Amino acid sequence: VDPKKGCEVDLVFSTEHYNPEEGEEHLGKCSARVLFKNHKSRPAINVTCTQLIEQIKRQKEDGLLYKQMKQLRNPLNIVSIPDSHGHIDPSLRPIWNLAFLGSSYVMWKKTTQFLHYYLVQLSSVKQWKTNDGAIDFDYTALLHEFSTQEIIPCRIHLVWYPGKPLKVKYHCQELQAPEASGTEEGSAMPPTKLSNF
Amino acid sequence: MEPLLGTLYLLGWLVLGGLGYDSSSDQPGQEVVSPWRSLNTYSYDKYHPMGEIYEWMSQVSEKHADLVTQHFLGMTYETRPMYYLKISQPSNNPKKIIWIDCGIHAREWIAPAFCQWFVKEIVQNYKDNSRISRFLRNLDFYVLPVLNIDGYIYTWTTDRLWRKSRSSHSNGTCFGVDLNRNFNASWCSIGASTNCQDLTFCGTEPVSEPEAKAVSSLIESKKKDILCFLTIHSYGQLILTPYGYTKNKSSNHEELIQVGQKAANALKAKHGTNYRVGSSADILYAVSGSSRDWARDIGIPFSYTFELRDNGTYGFILPESQIQPTCEETMEGVLSLLDEVHTKNWPVNSARRVSATTAVWCMNL
Repeated sequence: VDPKKGCEVDLVFSTEHYNPEEGEEHLGKCSARVLFKNHKSRPAINVTCTQLIEQIKRQKEDGLLYKQMKQLRNPLNIVSIPDSHGHIDPSLRPIWNLAFLGSSYVMWKKTTQFLHYYLVQLSSVKQWKTNDGAIDFDYTALLHEFSTQEIIPCRIHLVWYPGKPLKVKYHCQELQAPEASGTEEGSAMPPTKLSNF
Repeated sequence: MEPLLGTLYLLGWLVLGGLGYDSSSDQPGQEVVSPWRSLNTYSYDKYHPMGEIYEWMSQVSEKHADLVTQHFLGMTYETRPMYYLKISQPSNNPKKIIWIDCGIHAREWIAPAFCQWFVKEIVQNYKDNSRISRFLRNLDFYVLPVLNIDGYIYTWTTDRLWRKSRSSHSNGTCFGVDLNRNFNASWCSIGASTNCQDLTFCGTEPVSEPEAKAVSSLIESKKKDILCFLTIHSYGQLILTPYGYTKNKSSNHEELIQVGQKAANALKAKHGTNYRVGSSADILYAVSGSSRDWARDIGIPFSYTFELRDNGTYGFILPESQIQPTCEETMEGVLSLLDEVHTKNWPVNSARRVSATTAVWCMNL
């Protein structure tokens, strides 16, 4: 590890379905190389996976998620998901799933050798409208930052249509460090990767 | 006297029921206490606001007065009383102490839930569970269900993700000290902040906070009798040994790891949950001023931090549906740890010798 250049980490890991069904156990196998440059955020990632869920099944699940999102009451005005007791209403699950996906982009962008994140709660899911059939919504994700223990609120704007790359715009409120914001076009990753949730 | 009390309770319930009190209220700005609750119907698989926990402590010590007593530990910053429960079977032989505290960080709700579960398990099973009755012959349990009471209440009324205490600083412009950075163990040297606005603010000096002071004073006064200091947190699924403030290892590090690993195995056997074991500096991050490190440094041999479920999926906001499995597996882990500690100090041979002597003495009466 060259402290001037950065830090490289090789990983081997398995993936599982984000919302596994009863008794369902499908493990994808992945290996990745992660390069942190000079303590900077947004590590470079080279990842390959095998045994992922077949494309047809993924597309079907995307379609289902899309349909569920479309069926939700519009406009949406929710205080927090999950609530204080960790409960997510089943009808709101699709929102959590999609918001989690968008948040994972933001977390990747902010991760450094010394700071990593978890999504704790969505503190407001305010606007939700469709534009040309795409799912378009705005929410605030509360990220738990290790090892400062801080809770970082990030305003995230997400646009998604099944089969198309996810578009994420975000703005995180930081206490001391300069405010971080950015735009992430899902086209950096092949579309098929997005649906492996 | 009792029928009258019963009538009063009933009246109280009817009156408050009429006013529409709702103990499950999630309303900000209000911490609602259920008007009347019987210990038989207390839900150990739900999160409880502080008012209910205070009531639960009284009821447990009242109902099981032969085993459990409630003791005053000190006052919080916002002048609330801190109580711990002492679980002790009367006996002639001297006892050693096991200390368990929960909720030093306000948002880690699963921790106080575990402390309550632990007490429940002991009082419900001590008569017919040979493992527990064996422990109680030589050990007293001191359980502090909520250490950071002010912070805990704040997570119910105002901010679910609050971590620190609620002491006031910088002329009332900044609040709270990270109580787990406030103990006198290489205080504020690393992994802590001197800035009140930070979540790892170490305070104005070692043990500046009344809550930390209260715990420190009691532990210090009884340190030669304390065998085990367990402090319960979430999340991360870890069993952490000293130290956080240095990569150096304690003199009994090997043993701590071995005992910790056994506990993690026992925990995993319950529901398959994976826990990692190691020193804070090795497997988590550098931290100074932690209660666990301080406890080890004043001579308490077995000092651990437990980080309970989960691994980041829900983090601090662990769903209530996971309280029971989390508590069940953690109980197995803690009991395994206690087994090791107990066997080390009271090896099986000497126990048999003691019983034989007692038998002879009894026969001579």
